Amino acid sequence: MAEVNPTDAIDFDRSVIGVEVEVGTHVADKERMMAYARALGETNPLYLDEEAAKAGPYGVIIAPPLFYNLFGLQAGLDPKVVFGNTGFDGGQHVEFYEPIRAGDTIAATTQVADVYAKTGRTGTMVFTVRRTTFTNQDGEKTIVMDRINVRRDIQR
Amino acid sequence: MSQVYFEDVEPGYELTPLIKEPTREQLDAFTTAWGTSAGRFTSDEVARSEGFTGVILPGNMSMAFLAQLLTEWAGSAGKLKRLEVDFRRSVQPGDRLNCVGLVTDTDTEDGENRVILDVYIETQKGERALQGTALVLLPNKP
Repeated sequence: MAEVNPTDAIDFDRSVIGVEVEVGTHVADKERMMAYARALGETNPLYLDEEAAKAGPYGVIIAPPLFYNLFGLQAGLDPKVVFGNTGFDGGQHVEFYEPIRAGDTIAATTQVADVYAKTGRTGTMVFTVRRTTFTNQDGEKTIVMDRINVRRDIQR
Repeated sequence: MSQVYFEDVEPGYELTPLIKEPTREQLDAFTTAWGTSAGRFTSDEVARSEGFTGVILPGNMSMAFLAQLLTEWAGSAGKLKRLEVDFRRSVQPGDRLNCVGLVTDTDTEDGENRVILDVYIETQKGERALQGTALVLLPNKP
């Protein structure tokens, strides 16, 4: 019996794969960074203590690593995956470069890096990987993040 | 806090787990800082309509607990370089979260001391809610 690659059977817009688009900029607000750090129960003085941060390696308050999740960016291009009746947040794969400092202006670009299907014990799931690159006002890369969305069929 | 060094670490080394017991107040503070009105994180009613027993934590909030485990361990001279996490099960306020890191490999590449870890969050029910891998860079012993 011939093996069928499940990805070949998925209906989506292949023309958007790898096309990078701007999805907005975010000005890192010190108060918001500190509120986020406190909500997480962080105790690192570099996130929470202005005096300590001033004396530290960055000279200003920096954000905890995953602060970029609060940016509220545009969605970017839609691969229009037609599959399943429900979607969920499958996870994130993140690479860290320069920290985000209070007052930074961070620009974000996104591409749909991949769409693929996997068939396992619980049926087929379709994964959409969106890769977002965050760059600060000095042109330094701060974060590259793959966000994985999963679509599947569940019996209701 | 004392600095951990590359020479201190070998495969099988386990980080002191970070225990997190997120409260509804912490979740509300998180979603307020986020500015999100996404229902399942803020409204019990919406969460129930989606099959949960009440509000759940955003996956990236639980993932941030793993980042905290790793950055606190790496110390001021270490660096969290990569964190790859799959969200497997929902987490709710009141859950007791055991945030675990286990070293699986170490090597030195391009002058960087690389520590590879398995990371996961286990709930009080013994379920792995989040699971993944991390790369942390550590300094040499002076």
